[in-house]
Amino acid sequence: MQILHVEYLRKSFDGQTILSNVSLEISKGEVIAVIGPSGSGKSTLLRCLTLLERIDQGKITVEGDVMVDSPNGHPRYAPEETLRKIRLKLGMVFQNFNLFPHFSVLQNITEAPVHVAGVPYEVAKANALELLEKIGLSDKADAYPYQLSGGQSQRVAIARALAMKPDVLFFDEPTSALDPELTGEVLKVIRALAAEHMTMMVVTHEMAFARDVADRVIFMDNGQIIETGTPDQIFLNPTNERTKTFLQRFSENG
Amino acid sequence: MEWTNLIKLLNLLCSGALTSIQLFCYTLLFSLPLGLAVALGRMSKRPYIRGPIKFYILIMRGTPLLLQIIFVYFAPSFMMPEGFRINLDRFVAAVIAFSLNYAAYFAEIYRGGIESIPQGQYEAAAVLGFTKSQTFFRIILPQVIKRILPPISNEVITLVKDTALIQVLGISELFRVAKNESSRLFSTLPLFVAGLFYLAMNWVVTRVFHLAEKKLSYYK
Repeated sequence: MQILHVEYLRKSFDGQTILSNVSLEISKGEVIAVIGPSGSGKSTLLRCLTLLERIDQGKITVEGDVMVDSPNGHPRYAPEETLRKIRLKLGMVFQNFNLFPHFSVLQNITEAPVHVAGVPYEVAKANALELLEKIGLSDKADAYPYQLSGGQSQRVAIARALAMKPDVLFFDEPTSALDPELTGEVLKVIRALAAEHMTMMVVTHEMAFARDVADRVIFMDNGQIIETGTPDQIFLNPTNERTKTFLQRFSENG
Repeated sequence: MEWTNLIKLLNLLCSGALTSIQLFCYTLLFSLPLGLAVALGRMSKRPYIRGPIKFYILIMRGTPLLLQIIFVYFAPSFMMPEGFRINLDRFVAAVIAFSLNYAAYFAEIYRGGIESIPQGQYEAAAVLGFTKSQTFFRIILPQVIKRILPPISNEVITLVKDTALIQVLGISELFRVAKNESSRLFSTLPLFVAGLFYLAMNWVVTRVFHLAEKKLSYYK
């Protein structure tokens, strides 16, 4: 079953093209890793899919609901109520966590279910405590974000996104702001989600992680999808020259 | 000075201080919310909202409050055409002038606070599905309040002392009472005591802000 469908997406900032001709689809339970050099448009793509940026052209469909279409070259977004419905199906984890500093860990996780989804507080709390146990932070329920390490913050951010029970979860370089010794604990949580067949799209520079966890890898460069395939195809037998050069540079550095 | 006279003086000063405190309270009551509205207008993307608001802030901060008090009191009765003249109550005129003036200062403090909140907070709220007003009132504003407490306390302390300006309308606030007593008794003592009154009021203000900051120090 298709969860997300993107056709010929184009996005530019101040006349500079950031994404062009991007088409992709995400099926239920699939884990997609998006790799590519800095400035290749990976993060912008995620931001377009989560409605943080508006596209200039193309069509995005989420579970049959059209988020945006451009019948005559200009983007036309669905009415706000449809967008609200779509937003609830999409979760996002940011590079810089973006936890709410004035809320405790527990409240960070319960706030949206209670005030956006209308879940009774007791139910939201029970669910949040369950999520905290899953990410190994049960003892931090009453802590405030400033008391957490980077790895702990990112795990809470994942729990916060999961609390809304999204159908697809996007990760924008979830370990890039972390010290190397802290990336492991975050990747472990994402791996556990993959094992539960959570649908995910992860922009990452962790090649080993992309290779182990992803069902499909997308390589982007210069705002375009250059190559798509299974991890084995992309990492062992890349067909495109640019993919080869990129991966070579990575294995040399890493 | 005899004891009875001193008690009489303190009584007079207290009633003057009461008027000052009333003006103080009404000004905060109106200017704090109004300032927030002005700040939002000042940050509006629409130039026909932002432009006039910028002009309003320029006038309020760029001319003496004393002049504004006189203007608000006299303009409705002197500058309006025959038949539209209104005689404002002196105290009401003072509250209007103070509220408009302080709202402009508070607005710029709010704006500084709001603009200091990282964009990521808005984005996190947006993807979680919060509406714009939920995002502002639940996520942004509480963080803004913590950040702007110190500059707000500056303005509030200034407000305590600025209340003395309404004597220009002949209102018997603390300073005017002290001045009158001073001339009547040929003594600077009433003025000195009035100074202690202002100091005491601002000590209370300082304590309140200190407690508020402490209460909000549970997060960083």
